[in-house]
Amino acid sequence: MKVFLGIDVGSVSTNLVMVDAENNLIDYNYLLTRGQPIQAVQEGMKQIGDKLPPGASVSGVGVTGSARSLIGVAVGADVVKNEITAHAVAADAEMPGVQTVLELGGQDSKIIILRHGVVTDFAMNTVCAAGTGSFLDHQAARLNIPIEDFGRLALNSKHPVQIAGRCSVFAESDMVHKQQMGYKIEDIIAGLCEALVRNYLNNVGKGKEILAPVVFQGGVAANVGIKAAFESALGLEVIVPEHHHVMGAIGSALLARSVMKEGRKSAFRGFALSDLEYEASSFECNGCPNICEIINLSLEGELLARWGGRCGKWENLNG
Amino acid sequence: MKRKPIVGIPRALSFYTFYPLWRAFLENLGAKVILSSATNRDILEDGISETVNDACIPIKVFHGHVIDLAERADYLFVPRMISADGVSTYCPKFLGLPDMIRFVGRPLPPIIDARYNLQGFPGGQFRFFRTVAGQLGIKNPFKVYAAGLAALARHRRYMGLLQKGVDPLQASGAVLENKPYRARTSMASTNPGEELKLTVALLGYPYAVFDPYINAGIYDRLNKMGIDVITFEMIPERELKRMSRTIPQSFFWYYSNQVCWAGLYLLENKEIVDGIIHVTAFGCGPDAMVDKLLELEAKQAKVPFISLSIDEHTGEGGVQTRLEAFTDMLRFRKTKQEAAVNR
Repeated sequence: MKVFLGIDVGSVSTNLVMVDAENNLIDYNYLLTRGQPIQAVQEGMKQIGDKLPPGASVSGVGVTGSARSLIGVAVGADVVKNEITAHAVAADAEMPGVQTVLELGGQDSKIIILRHGVVTDFAMNTVCAAGTGSFLDHQAARLNIPIEDFGRLALNSKHPVQIAGRCSVFAESDMVHKQQMGYKIEDIIAGLCEALVRNYLNNVGKGKEILAPVVFQGGVAANVGIKAAFESALGLEVIVPEHHHVMGAIGSALLARSVMKEGRKSAFRGFALSDLEYEASSFECNGCPNICEIINLSLEGELLARWGGRCGKWENLNG
Repeated sequence: MKRKPIVGIPRALSFYTFYPLWRAFLENLGAKVILSSATNRDILEDGISETVNDACIPIKVFHGHVIDLAERADYLFVPRMISADGVSTYCPKFLGLPDMIRFVGRPLPPIIDARYNLQGFPGGQFRFFRTVAGQLGIKNPFKVYAAGLAALARHRRYMGLLQKGVDPLQASGAVLENKPYRARTSMASTNPGEELKLTVALLGYPYAVFDPYINAGIYDRLNKMGIDVITFEMIPERELKRMSRTIPQSFFWYYSNQVCWAGLYLLENKEIVDGIIHVTAFGCGPDAMVDKLLELEAKQAKVPFISLSIDEHTGEGGVQTRLEAFTDMLRFRKTKQEAAVNR
């Protein structure tokens, strides 16, 4: 039996999935990156390696996410793809004919427009992280509400208050002000959900043709309050896939499956990599005034890859 | 013998359009010309610390280049660029550039500040040349005229090379020192070979497109991905002129018009490129309109379009992700189109 691994290493979470040749999800895990992508992937590998069905072998590995180049080298990936393509592939497999993908992650947000299974347009948030998962986490912690209950509370609201969603700093001062005025907490949370959705649609979704079916994925899709706010703002049904939080990893597993044609052998280093010693170190190159920070990645003391320079001279390992 | 005066040219802003003209003219007058270093971290940091806070990154970098030259040059060449085509003007920050530079809080050599303005009576080039020469203490009109004529010939050759797809650095090397050159792309290389070959237009102001330090190396990244790149310099001038007549009103600003007309030309001749990337500096006033116009026109023409905004915090990761996603999208589209054609 052939299985394919997909890994999505983002700013907040690291997800691994295992799918079989018929696209069935065998297992997945969702771990916090905590700024240590290699350790997170090693932990994930250990967990998912135990679920490998007897007699099965890994025939391909795909990696996506902001740490994709680092992890691609570390695990021996067969395909390293950007998050937009990975999310689009996963959404289209989950919901054939999908025309709009809304994705809200830890520190970024995207919109992907597909027509007939092909990406025709996309956008990512630019300089501002207002309305992403990190901000919601922060507000939930400030209000002392578990993030899991955050969305549900919003659904209880009858009269959402008006919150400025343009900037997370101002949104917070607005919320504090509304609390001090004595508004009910669920009305404030519902107002925040609406503000975030408004901000997302006006920035990331600006000028995009949003048509049904609309799929909502990423960690924030677990928040039913945001989902409801999207539905009322768009006037469309918003579908949240069962595995919405690991869609990027599912997409990269599917991409791995499609690039591994007959006869090609996977570059995967094996589940044993979770016990190996990886070391990432850095130094400043003084070759020119740019003073680039060069990163070395070594495995068991042997140099695997080097990057970070503007000129590319360090990428040659013998240099 | 008297030492030749050393004139420093900052490697930023209009440098990308006029370097061979300026250098040839100054050398013909008997000056020695030096260039600031390629943009680097020190230049960017000096620029940020010496420029008004809300200027765009190209203006900040220009200040850094001036500081880089300050101790090496007898004169700084900072002309006041007003109009290069007699109709439009440069953006207001170019118009006030010599004044902004005078208020840099560090000791600077004298500034050669001549108005470059081809509006009004013909002969604007020579008015400019006379002022520059005068500030260097050269009065002989025949000498100035001859130096100017020879420099203009170099400038024409330079523009011709840019049109052939040679990048500004190589083209100026070829024009000024007869160095060998090679076009990175040509307008005729768009037919798909065995592998799916992509061509994209990288539209934007030359000082944003050709300075790899401030744009996170967009041009090289595309080349590394095996993608051919078209810039507005490569589109024949008469075609740009023609496009200017297809819209009700052009912009007030010189480079904005070039970018806008080039975009319209490529949207009219869709076989040339697979998609358009607009590089724009964060906070650029004129681009607020140029970017929206290109976005709307591209949508109507059904040509993929993405806008990449650069500032001093531009992360390489963000640029790479967007470029990869955009080119993946172009590739999928093209495969599908070709499958449809072959069916």
